[in-house]
Amino acid sequence: MARYGMVIDLKRCYGCYACSMACKVANHTPPNVFWSRVLKGESGTFPNVVRQALPVLCFHCEDPGCVKVCPTKATYANDDGVVVIDKEVCVGCKYCMMGCPYGARYTVPEWKSYFPEGLPLSELEQFQKEAWEEKSGCGVATKCDFCTERREDGKEPSCVTACPADARIFGDLDNPDSEASQRIKRDRGFVLKPEQGTKPKVYYLPPR
Amino acid sequence: MNSKLHGLVQTEWRWLIAIYLFLAGAGGGAHITGVVADFMGWTQLANIGIGLGWPCVLIGCLCLIGDLGTARNAWRVARKPDTSWIARGTIIISIFMIVAFIHTVLWVWPGTMAGPEVGARHLVGVIGAFFAFGTMVYTGLLLGDAIPIPFWNTTLLPILFFVSALSTGVMAVVLVGVIAAADQAHLLTLGRVDIVLIVIEALVLAAYLHGSYRVPNTRMAAEHLLKGELAAMFWMGVAVCGLAVPLVIDAVGLHGAGAAAASILGLIGGLCLRYVVLAGGAMYPMAAAGFEFRPIKRSKDPMPAIGKMPPS
Ligand code: SF4
Ligand code: SF4
Ligand code: SF4
Repeated sequence: MARYGMVIDLKRCYGCYACSMACKVANHTPPNVFWSRVLKGESGTFPNVVRQALPVLCFHCEDPGCVKVCPTKATYANDDGVVVIDKEVCVGCKYCMMGCPYGARYTVPEWKSYFPEGLPLSELEQFQKEAWEEKSGCGVATKCDFCTERREDGKEPSCVTACPADARIFGDLDNPDSEASQRIKRDRGFVLKPEQGTKPKVYYLPPR
Repeated sequence: MNSKLHGLVQTEWRWLIAIYLFLAGAGGGAHITGVVADFMGWTQLANIGIGLGWPCVLIGCLCLIGDLGTARNAWRVARKPDTSWIARGTIIISIFMIVAFIHTVLWVWPGTMAGPEVGARHLVGVIGAFFAFGTMVYTGLLLGDAIPIPFWNTTLLPILFFVSALSTGVMAVVLVGVIAAADQAHLLTLGRVDIVLIVIEALVLAAYLHGSYRVPNTRMAAEHLLKGELAAMFWMGVAVCGLAVPLVIDAVGLHGAGAAAASILGLIGGLCLRYVVLAGGAMYPMAAAGFEFRPIKRSKDPMPAIGKMPPS
């Protein structure tokens, strides 16, 4: 069985937010929901200041804080290691949002359009609304699922395909020969907030 | 919402959850007060405490359900009691409400006050008090189990919430006792008990904030309470209303309207305490390779920058 993970090369990422957009396009997330985000950080003092981008998503942790606190078993890890949410079981208690150290989860009480309220929905918006309600739902926890539908179609996750800098590598961490596993080993891959003990499956390669 | 804390400030659990934590605590405290009063032979206060406790908790639970996105599935909440404090808490609270309800129907309801089964009444009362204790402590453990939020993740929080719950429970009983014209001497004794509880609560609160202040990961949350956006609610609501004024009134030994006023202020303080602890909950920012990363602003308004669309 595969154990999916991702590697993000911070040397290559230039913080263009293409992954955030690609995720929105693929998963029809409504306003204020960012399964894929890009954080920006600064270090140093003037004039020697360096800016660095850090793209984040759900890390599909080995030992996920979200699963530990969920009272309903609504969120769980699939056989392929992808952490998913059963929207029929989730009660929307939001405890998982307190249990995830990475802020990967979002809930929206109701679906909203990107355009001002009161305008009639366009055909596309109608489609997006239905797609969101079918896949994710309102009032329940939602997050990145490594693009389940795209993987079923044999495609890579949307954010990986979209990245113009080729900074994201998706792959099977159980397979030692996959590019992802190789790069983690060779280029000193690390995870975020390791002290939280969640064992993320999204690794980063150092910026320098 | 709040960039001052730099981390991810949780904005999901707000007033409804604060009311839930507060009412679960105060209700449990009222029940314990009632059971103790029963042992002292203060029948009227015992009835008030036991009759008041579980309805408070029940209203709190309705607030929790109100905060859920999908109430149709609320019954599923106890499916994973092994690792989730919400599931365990639901079980504890349900048992408490059932036991206290039985107690109320058998011995508190007007006209059912019976003499012979004193032993049984005390036994049911003590069982109820045990689960009331569980309910009060659980409100702290629930937050404490959110490991990414270090401000909640401390043993002092369940202790703080327990002492505050007991104190607000006593105050609730005093308040209703004054309205129902219960025995003055008994009410004054409860007031004196409350002095001790308020002093302990103040000490635990000071220790909690001091401990938070000393650790870098939680210092910002403590500062947020002491001098940041939550300072007004913390100092006015928690410190003055919730602790100082009731302490002075109890120490002077006012009764009647004075005692009732002290109770109301103390109850408001208890609610404010839950709210500032919730609102201060923040995760520390992510860091990699010497950089610290702030999250993008999660504004409640989806499109603050986009104006009205031109008429078409
Ligand atoms: S990143 Fe957060 S939401 Fe995703 S698996 Fe880990 S703990 Fe759960
Ligand atoms: S919001 Fe849903 S997935 Fe999250 S902890 Fe509650 S029931 Fe589980
Ligand atoms: S893997 Fe798919 S769902 Fe996850 S962040 Fe990337 S595009 Fe979004």
